[in-house]
Amino acid sequence: MFAQVLFSGLALGSIYGLVALGFAVVFKATDVFNFAQGMFAVCGAYFAVTAISALDLPFGLAILFMIAACATLGVLAHIFLIQPLAGRSMLAIIMVTIALSIVLRAGIEIFYGPQGRVLTTPLPSGVIRIGDLRISQLHLIAALTSWACMAIFGAFFRFTSVGLLMRATADGHEAALVSGVNVNAMNRLAWAIGAVLAGIGGLFLGQLQIVSPELEAIGLLALPAVVIGGMQSIPGAIIGGLLVGLIAQFAGSYISPKSTDIVIYGLLLLILMVRPWGLLGQRELGRV
Amino acid sequence: MSDTLAPATVAAARAKTSPGKWIVRAIVLAVLIYAPFVLTSRSIFGIPLSNMQLLNLGLTQINLMLIAMLGALSLNFLTGSAGLISIGHAAFYATGAMTAAIFGTQLGWPFPLVLVCAAIAGALAGILAGLPSLRVRGLYFVLSTLAVHYVVVFLFQEYQFAFFGVVGVPFAQPSIGPIAIDSPIRWYFFLLPLVALVYFGLRNVLATREGRALMAMRDHELAATAMGADVRILRLKAFALSSAIAAVAGALYAHLLTNATSEVFGINFAIQFIAMIIIGGLGSLSGSLLGAAVWLLLPTIITGLTSFAADSTGIVRTVLVDHRPQLVQMIFGLIVIVLLIFAPGGMADLIAKLRAALFGRRHG
Amino acid sequence: MSHDTILSVENLSVGYARKGLALDDVSLTVPRGGIVALLGANGAGKTTLIRAISGLLDHHHGRIESGQVRFDGRVVNALPPHKRIRLGMAQSPEGRLIFKNLTVEDNLLVGAAILPSAKRQDGLDAVYALFPRLKERRGQSAGWMSGGEQQMLALGRALIGRPQLLLVDELSLGLAPLLVRSIYEELKKVRELFGSSMLIVEQNAKLALGFAEQAYVLDRGRIALSGFAADVAASTAIRDSYLGTERVGNEGAHA
Repeated sequence: MFAQVLFSGLALGSIYGLVALGFAVVFKATDVFNFAQGMFAVCGAYFAVTAISALDLPFGLAILFMIAACATLGVLAHIFLIQPLAGRSMLAIIMVTIALSIVLRAGIEIFYGPQGRVLTTPLPSGVIRIGDLRISQLHLIAALTSWACMAIFGAFFRFTSVGLLMRATADGHEAALVSGVNVNAMNRLAWAIGAVLAGIGGLFLGQLQIVSPELEAIGLLALPAVVIGGMQSIPGAIIGGLLVGLIAQFAGSYISPKSTDIVIYGLLLLILMVRPWGLLGQRELGRV
Repeated sequence: MSDTLAPATVAAARAKTSPGKWIVRAIVLAVLIYAPFVLTSRSIFGIPLSNMQLLNLGLTQINLMLIAMLGALSLNFLTGSAGLISIGHAAFYATGAMTAAIFGTQLGWPFPLVLVCAAIAGALAGILAGLPSLRVRGLYFVLSTLAVHYVVVFLFQEYQFAFFGVVGVPFAQPSIGPIAIDSPIRWYFFLLPLVALVYFGLRNVLATREGRALMAMRDHELAATAMGADVRILRLKAFALSSAIAAVAGALYAHLLTNATSEVFGINFAIQFIAMIIIGGLGSLSGSLLGAAVWLLLPTIITGLTSFAADSTGIVRTVLVDHRPQLVQMIFGLIVIVLLIFAPGGMADLIAKLRAALFGRRHG
Repeated sequence: MSHDTILSVENLSVGYARKGLALDDVSLTVPRGGIVALLGANGAGKTTLIRAISGLLDHHHGRIESGQVRFDGRVVNALPPHKRIRLGMAQSPEGRLIFKNLTVEDNLLVGAAILPSAKRQDGLDAVYALFPRLKERRGQSAGWMSGGEQQMLALGRALIGRPQLLLVDELSLGLAPLLVRSIYEELKKVRELFGSSMLIVEQNAKLALGFAEQAYVLDRGRIALSGFAADVAASTAIRDSYLGTERVGNEGAHA
C-alpha cells in the first residue's frame, strides 16, 4: 500500500508541479498571483476535448491546438486584464483573476454543458505490475511528460536568449526597461507559458479523471504548492507540487479522503507562520 | 474614496444637514417600511402589480440581501478601511452558524443569547485568523486567510457529520422573547434595524481616533504609528470586530435557511463578498450595501427578464433559459472586471460622480 | 535642426498623475559627439527629464504635456523605451538598476540582446576591455558586487550596444570620489572609441563641469542657466545656489 500511494502521489505531484511551475513563472514575471491558474488547466482539458472530439484532429495536432489555444488565452488575459490594472492594489489584481475564472467557468458550462466529458486519447491506459505495485501507464506517462516539460522550460530559461531576457524582466521591470528589453512582450510570453503549462496539466488531469470544470479545484492546489515551495523559486514550485501530491495521496489513504484539504492548507498555514518565504525561497521576501 | 469614510467630510456633511435632507430621510424610511408590504401583497396602494413590475423580487430575497449586507459591510470595514485583505470571510459565517448550532440547536439557548455567543465566537476566531498578520504581510497574509477558510470549513464539516449527518445542521425557529420570527415580513423588520445599526456603528467606529488610525494604516503603516497607535493590536481589533459581525450574519443566515451544510460556506461564498465590495466600492460603507444589493437581487431580476425568452429556440434558448445560472455568473464576472478596470471606486464612486455632474456639487 | 545634433528636447513639459508639472517648457540639445552635463538640486526635475528622453515616463505614471523629444532627427515621444534603445540611445540609470540575481555576464548579455547574435561576443570583449574588473567577476551574481562594480556593470550594459547617445544618471551616488574620477576617465575613452555623445546627470557639479563641454542647470522644473561648462561654472548664480553646497563634501551629500 505504501509504495502504491507513494507512486500515485509522485505521479499526481508531478502534474501539480507542472501547473505550479506555470503559476510561478507568471508570478515571478508579473507579480500576479493568478487565481485563474486552476481554470486555465480546465480550459486546457476542454481545448483538448474540442480538438479531439469536435474537430476530429489527430492526437499530435490536437495537442498543438491545445497549446496554441492556451497560449492565446494567457496572452489575452495579460493584455486585457492585467496590463490595464498596472500599478493598482493587490486586491484588484487578485480579484480580476478570480473574476476571470468565474467567467471562464460560466463560458465552459454554457458551451459544453455542466456535465463532464470523457477525453479519449491514444495514450496507453494499461497497468504494469511490479510485485504488488500496480503502475498505471497513464500516471507514468503524465509524470514523465511533466518532468520533460519542466526540463524543457528549465533549459529555455537557462540557455536561450529569450529565456535570459525573461529572467532579467523577472529580476526587475525598470531595470529591464532601461536595458532595452520589451517588457510587455516578455510578460505576455510569461502568461502564455503559464497557461500552456496549466493546460498540459489539465490535459492529464482530465484524462486521469473526467474533463469537467470541477478539475479547477485540483488545478488550484498549485497555489499552496507554490507557497510551500517558495513563491520566488522555480525549483520550489516543482518541489512544492510534488509535496502537495504526496500529502494529498497519503492523507487521503491513511487519514481520510476528506482530510486532504485541511492537511495541505494546515501545512500552508504552518509554513506561512514559520517560514513565509517557503522551503526554497529567499528570506528577504514578504516579511514583516 | 467615497464620502462615508473620510471623517472630515462626514463632519462637513453633518454640519450642512438641511431641512431638505430630513425630508429625503423621512421618505427613505417610509419606503423601507412600506416596501415589504408591497412585496408580500404584490400591490401598491391597492393597485396590483405584475411580477415583472416588481422585478421578480420577493421578500425572502430581500432578507437574504440584508444578511449579505452585514457580510459586505464587515468585509469592507476590514479590507477597504483597514487594508487587510481576507478571502476567508466565509469562515466567519461558518463559525457563526456552528456556534448557533451548538448553543441554539443543541443546548436550546434563547435566540438573542445565541447571537451574542456567535459574535463572541466570531471575534475569537477573527483574532486567531488575524494572528498571521503579526508575522506576514500582503499576499502571504491573503493566503493565510485562505488557509484559515479551509481549516474552518473542515471543522464545520467534522462537526456536522459528528452530530447531524449528511443532511446538514437544522436550526430552530428564532424568537425574541414571545415574538417568533416566523414570516418573511418579521425577518425583514428584525434584519433592517440590525443592518442600520451595523452601518452606523461602523461609521462611528471609523470616525473615532482608532478608526482614523486604522485608515491611516491602510494608506501608510508609519503614519498610523506616528499617530501613536500600536498597529498590531489595531489590526487584531479590526479583525475581531469584522468577524464578529460576519459570525452574527452567519448565524442569521443559517436560521433563515433553517438548515446548513458545510458546502454552503465554500470558497465561492467567500469570493462573493469580495465581489460585492468591489462592485459597491472598496472603502465605502454605503457601497457595501449597494454591492450586496446588486449581488443578491440581480440574479432574480435576470431570471425574471429571461422568462420573456421562454419560448425562444436555438442558441438564444441555450444561453438564456437552459444556462441561466451560468449566464448570471458570467454577467457578474464581467461586471467585476469592467468595474475593476474602468471604475476602481465601484458604484459608490460612480454615483458620487453622477451626482456631482447633475448637481454641480463636489462630492467626496 | 541640424544633423550635428543627436538629441534635442524642445519646449518639453511633463506632469505626473495628480501632481503639478515636473518640467515646464524645457529645451536642451546634445551635439553629436558632445558631452553635456545636467545639473540641479534634488527634485529639480533631472531624473524626470532623463525619463522623458529614455521613454520611462509611462512606467512612473508621468506623461508629456507638450513639446517633444527628438533623437537623431526623429520625434520619439511615442516610442517605448526598447525601441529608443534600438535607435541608439542607452541609459545607465540612477540607482544603477542592475539585475541582482543574474550573473555579471548575463547582465551584459541582456544589454547585448539588441545586437545580432554574431556581434554579442565582440560587445562583451569591448566592455571587458574597458572594465577589466567585470571580466574577473563575470560569473558572480551582480547583487553581491560592490557599489563601484555595480556602477561599472550598469555602464557596461548600456555601452555594449555601442550607443550613439549615452544617458548617465547620478553616476557618483554613494561612490568614493577617487573611484568616480576613474570611471569618468573610462567614459572619455568610450567617446574616443565609440564616438558616443553623452548627457550626464550629476550631483557633483564641480566634477561634471570639469568633464562636460556644455551644461544646463535645472531649477524647479525650468532651465535656470545654460551654456559652455566653463561659463556655467563661473556664473555666480550657480555658485550661490548650487555649487555652494559642494563644500559640504563631494560625494553628492545634498540628500
